[in-house]
Amino acid sequence: MEAYLCELLYSFSVRALAFVNHIPPAPDVERSIERALEWGVDYIVAQGTGSDWGPYWLGSGEQPAADVARNTRPYLRAALENEIPFLLSLGIAGADVHLDQSLAALDRMCSDEGWSLRIGVVRTEVSPDSLAALVQGGRPVVRAQDSDELSEYLEAESARTLKCCVHLVGPEPLEHLLRDDSLDGVVVGRALDIALFMAPAMHHGLSRAVAGHLGKLLECAGFALDPGDSAQPVWGEADENGVEIRSPNPSYRVSVKSLASHSFYERADPAKEDNPGGTLDLSGCEYVDTPLGIRVTGARWIDAPYTVLVEGAELAGYRSIVMMGVREPALLAQRETWIQGMRADVAAAERFAGRRFDIGIRQYGDSGGGEIGFVLDVVAETQQLANDLAYFAFIRLFVGPYPGRKTTAGNVAVPFMPLVIPTGPVYRFGAYHLVPLERPDELCRVSVLELPGGAT
Amino acid sequence: MRLHELATVVRSKNAGPFLVTIDLFFPDQASFDAVQRSGVLEIGSIAALYDIPAEDVVGSFWEPRALGAKVTIRKRPSVNDLFCGDLFGSHQHIPLAYAEIDS
Repeated sequence: MEAYLCELLYSFSVRALAFVNHIPPAPDVERSIERALEWGVDYIVAQGTGSDWGPYWLGSGEQPAADVARNTRPYLRAALENEIPFLLSLGIAGADVHLDQSLAALDRMCSDEGWSLRIGVVRTEVSPDSLAALVQGGRPVVRAQDSDELSEYLEAESARTLKCCVHLVGPEPLEHLLRDDSLDGVVVGRALDIALFMAPAMHHGLSRAVAGHLGKLLECAGFALDPGDSAQPVWGEADENGVEIRSPNPSYRVSVKSLASHSFYERADPAKEDNPGGTLDLSGCEYVDTPLGIRVTGARWIDAPYTVLVEGAELAGYRSIVMMGVREPALLAQRETWIQGMRADVAAAERFAGRRFDIGIRQYGDSGGGEIGFVLDVVAETQQLANDLAYFAFIRLFVGPYPGRKTTAGNVAVPFMPLVIPTGPVYRFGAYHLVPLERPDELCRVSVLELPGGAT
Repeated sequence: MRLHELATVVRSKNAGPFLVTIDLFFPDQASFDAVQRSGVLEIGSIAALYDIPAEDVVGSFWEPRALGAKVTIRKRPSVNDLFCGDLFGSHQHIPLAYAEIDS
């Protein structure tokens, strides 16, 4: 262990092996890990939070099916066997409930494998009341995207109606935990993806520009390779001037094109990205081939106020749907008036007077003579109301007469029984705003956990 | 010629809940240059193709090292809209994919 520490202190490079933990790793991942270990690995990093699946997961406390224990086992094993610290962000939406589900899975895995882990845990959920208090105390919380669907400044009342919110924590609280040699790794809920990589790089004195660049290149693991596949790991070495990227699996290449293309993914701007404390600017990057990979230099960090993105889910209602198919050309030709007739009947129904609901009809198919699939989509203030409205609207659509109708035994084809399918609560982003912080760790809660069997 | 016949990748995805970003990747310099010259990613062209106001076109970018280009637009309906039909924004490429390019 001492010889290893000396090597770290006197070398100014940081080598990270990156995975995405909500994606099952490739079956041959152990071979890739071995190859990376031959090059040297100082940190194993696997990010696993994101909001591209929308606010439902944050609001409901659920996660899309992901076996984080099975996914992480091969590289957590490598981390433990080689005494390599690891950093993980867990739970997709990454609130306390999701983080706890993931920690419980890791706890069971530690029991099964006979591992003992001592981990730093960073919780990044923010209560609606504390967010409201920040706003009321005068903190300007501005919208993170210039959309007219977001209030320009978050108001305290809006914050209070949120069901659940999280903030994308920056690297500093993670770096602080890396100073504790007694920890095997650091686990965080919702986090800035690149923070997981910036923390180790900054811990070894590298600049934010290089640290951020390391994060940008590695955050989606093998997605930055050719062919792009996040089930593959990627290895990166950062020094004071730049980053070298290598693929530990020879069937997946790293190329200038694959790295530059990766920077496009899900980004409004491929080169500039605002982060807590600064903007990372990759527009001046230069790429050079190395014997085993590609080296990239020229990232810049332009200092800016320290703000973090807060994602907040609010309940919009409860949804029920009905799926129907129509082939009858006479009905398809007048489908708009057919739908309008249903809406008029709902509006006239006393039983729904004064209630809050919205009715949508989604149409799928080619209207040029074929079949159209219709999905009746009701969102209402209660699940019961959504169900009742869906049945009422369906009956109007199914039996309601229209001019020229011959098919008097039913207007549509129905594939499912029950035909009203409740899909549950619907959430929207009630907050997607930037909070200026007085300290990078202002909103997070840090603790140490021992697995298996530890309590926070 | 349609844009999708010149590009190897035409993909769209949300960039946050309120923006959609559309990426194009080309197989060679000639197709990259032809599409860049055509002006198809200019604000007016995108606004017409997507039937959106010019203010909803946020920006376009050309990256020669990836032989790639990108245009970002306001996503309507957004992820917050109850009846959004494409929650990932992954199927918004059609108007651009079928744009006519004079080559």
